[in-house]
Amino acid sequence: MNERVEPVYLEEKLEEIRADGHLRYRSRSLPTWCPGCGYFSMADGLTVALNRLGLDNKDVVVVSGIGCASRFPFFVNTYGFHTLHGRVLPVATGVKIGNDALTVIAVGGDGDAFAIGAGHIPHAARRNVDMTYLVFDNGIYGLTKGQTSPTSALGFRTSSTPYENGDMPLNPLLMLLSYEASWVGQAYAGRPHHLTDMITMAIEHKGFSFLRILSPCVTFDKTDNTYRNLGMKVRDIPEDHDPSDRLAAMALAMEEDHPALGLFYREDRDTLGEVMQDAARKAQAMNLAPKGL
Amino acid sequence: MNKAGTDIQFAICGSAGDGTIAAGDIMKRAAAAMGFHVIAFDVYPPEIRGFGKCISRIRVSSEQAYSLKEQTDVFVSLNDGHAIPHVGEVRDCGAVIYDDHLIAPVPEGGHISAHVRPAQIPYGLPIRQVSEQATNSARSRNIVVLGYVAGLLDMPPEPFHKVVNQKFATKPPAVAEANIKAFDAGFEVGRKVFRLDDVEVGSAPEADRGEAVMMTGNGAIARGFLEAGIQSYFGYPITPATSIMERLAVELPKAGGRFLQTEDEISAISATIGAGFAGSRAATATSGPGLALMTEMLGLGVMAEVPAVIVCSQRGGPSTGLPTKTEQSDLNLAVFGGSGDAPRIVIAPTNVEGCYRCAGMAFEIAEAFQVPVILLIDLYLSNRYETVFPSGRNVFAPKPRQAPERREGEEYKRFALTESHISPRALPGDPDMMYTATGLEHNELGKPGDVLHMKMNAKRHEKLKPATRYPGLTTCKRFGAEGKVDVGILGWGSTFGEILEAMFEAQEEGISCSAMKVVMLSPLPEEELRAFFDDCEVVLVPELNYQGQFANLVSGALGRPVVRLDRTCATPMAVADILAEVRRLASDVNEPAHAAAGGGA
Repeated sequence: MNERVEPVYLEEKLEEIRADGHLRYRSRSLPTWCPGCGYFSMADGLTVALNRLGLDNKDVVVVSGIGCASRFPFFVNTYGFHTLHGRVLPVATGVKIGNDALTVIAVGGDGDAFAIGAGHIPHAARRNVDMTYLVFDNGIYGLTKGQTSPTSALGFRTSSTPYENGDMPLNPLLMLLSYEASWVGQAYAGRPHHLTDMITMAIEHKGFSFLRILSPCVTFDKTDNTYRNLGMKVRDIPEDHDPSDRLAAMALAMEEDHPALGLFYREDRDTLGEVMQDAARKAQAMNLAPKGL
Repeated sequence: MNKAGTDIQFAICGSAGDGTIAAGDIMKRAAAAMGFHVIAFDVYPPEIRGFGKCISRIRVSSEQAYSLKEQTDVFVSLNDGHAIPHVGEVRDCGAVIYDDHLIAPVPEGGHISAHVRPAQIPYGLPIRQVSEQATNSARSRNIVVLGYVAGLLDMPPEPFHKVVNQKFATKPPAVAEANIKAFDAGFEVGRKVFRLDDVEVGSAPEADRGEAVMMTGNGAIARGFLEAGIQSYFGYPITPATSIMERLAVELPKAGGRFLQTEDEISAISATIGAGFAGSRAATATSGPGLALMTEMLGLGVMAEVPAVIVCSQRGGPSTGLPTKTEQSDLNLAVFGGSGDAPRIVIAPTNVEGCYRCAGMAFEIAEAFQVPVILLIDLYLSNRYETVFPSGRNVFAPKPRQAPERREGEEYKRFALTESHISPRALPGDPDMMYTATGLEHNELGKPGDVLHMKMNAKRHEKLKPATRYPGLTTCKRFGAEGKVDVGILGWGSTFGEILEAMFEAQEEGISCSAMKVVMLSPLPEEELRAFFDDCEVVLVPELNYQGQFANLVSGALGRPVVRLDRTCATPMAVADILAEVRRLASDVNEPAHAAAGGGA
């Protein structure tokens, strides 16, 4: 207890951070999130992950929809496309098909993903588009100042549910596991190092990788998803969990009271790009006549 | 319009499943193979199988024609119940061909022979019997009757044989053989009956523009896209645009391109914009209901200055409307649809050849102006066949791209305000020019802070103005008399064919008139339009919608009055309707007193 703590000097720490190199993935725009927002650790996590993977800034495209999380592309120094509410996945699919050499990262919040954009998730997942989808899930609409979202808990009071939320919350992991996503994982904004590892793994995966990131909204949610509550609930994924066992992953996903952090499921199968290359080969071989003449 | 040489309209009417459309298809391809100009349009029911009415109408001429004729010369019934209401469209001394050996009694008036006018010439033959004798099946009635027509009109059988063989090339050889037998059996019968001497198929004109290719408007768009080096296509099935998607599903992978059927139209346009952002030549095609879903993303394309090509083939609306009937009622949606001031380029070809050329140019224009381009056609243009003379040369191939030059030490300004209002565009993968495109209003860097809303709005509008003079694209064109005229007819889209036919007829009647087609609807070629209005005493705008959408667009932009001719008849506009209106207006111009008394338009 009386051991002397080595002091950390700001100057040295800054030097260390600069030497690490991940700052070259930061843009000059300062994030517009509220102080204390869980999204800061995701921004750090992504820049560190890009640096670890040694990806060139010019070859990365971060695509987003609309919402607090979707402001993300402005804060990273890569190509970015801040699109429409709910349309991040089809736009990101177009970017990837448009130029296969790009690393495509789609980001968005829970409203963008599971409300207005929910119809696009199964299709991006089943097509196995080679991209990473980071969903920052804080269970609330922050940018419109605090309304209920599809992942808000039952009984949650917001400006749009003054008499308590009565809609069953969705289970995003269970959805993605049944949508044929080839990589499904979960992380928590309060564990930044683990989060960074998970983002790195998700980007490395060949195919559609879905990472749900639990986060508090420090401004509009003082009762449910707070750092304190989330920190007490989350747990490490059991060591004996086999990520190739989809049923086990689904069972784990259903234990919502104690969200497990880690890799739920992974499988290797052809990506959309590979399916299209295959179609091109078949087209050459078959030389089909078009319908009509 | 009277033309020198051959000008025959052939129609075949039957029930879905009779092979009506297939017979028409063979006829038009054979005529095109003989070197004639062909215009053809099929009418079919929305149901896939059942008892709906199908009609295939084919105009074969030695000179270029612009629309179908009002009256048919040779009419074939494969189903009297459906055909009887159409006997009236056969002209005097025209032929009505039907089966005169029925297998079951018909109620009084149920047989077509009771409806043939004395001036029309009836040709009854045992179609079913001939088919059964030739192929042991009644299913070849459509081909028998085709042979009969060829025999009757002294057309050579060889082109028909060739087309039949091509059509059934992928089936077992017995299929083509049976069909040729059926054709020959009908041909023999047709040669032995008395001549239809009022209709003559002369020889075809010498082809001087290279080889003619028969294609539909949709086929022409797919071909134009392929020649322009389309790289990715995203689509969702919808009548009448689906065949563009089906054609590209086959052809695009062959050309090394990428094809994806998306989960809905929103996804189709989103992926098209995404691919355009990444630098790919990307397109999608839809109809009115799909375009309505796409408008939000279209606005993003305008705001983020992303090139994309969207085909909209209009059908009757609103809502699900008339999926298999033509209309021109999505002009407002195409030109104005979406939130805010969202200027885009809208190009509306007027014939099949135009579909091919506009589709070929669309990517280049979208890239030059960094904006979504809508190709606005309609069901009549999508599905009608015409002979087209493709360029043969590689005129639409993409030109090499020039990456923007970056000044050392300066941040790349994706939305730099320039003299031409167009900012050099970097693509993902270009070094040191990383930027974020956004639907938020932004500054020159593309950042949503310190926005320049007024300047950026002006930029997005002003940059499109030179599009009306884009080299290689006809954005408007005047036909008929030059200089001052009594009546000007202003048209857009498929209706312009009927307008031209009406205008030529009016000229023959001695009416001073002229017609102008407007191909670029947004931005409008205002200067040319003003000159046209200055030359015309009165301007008539015929179009297939209730509100007069194009008339509103033009008179609003120019502040000039127009006379409207709006029809929502679910069919192409009748040449006679336009002609009647032109006559009325011409007499009003020349006899103002009469006009005053009659109340005018």
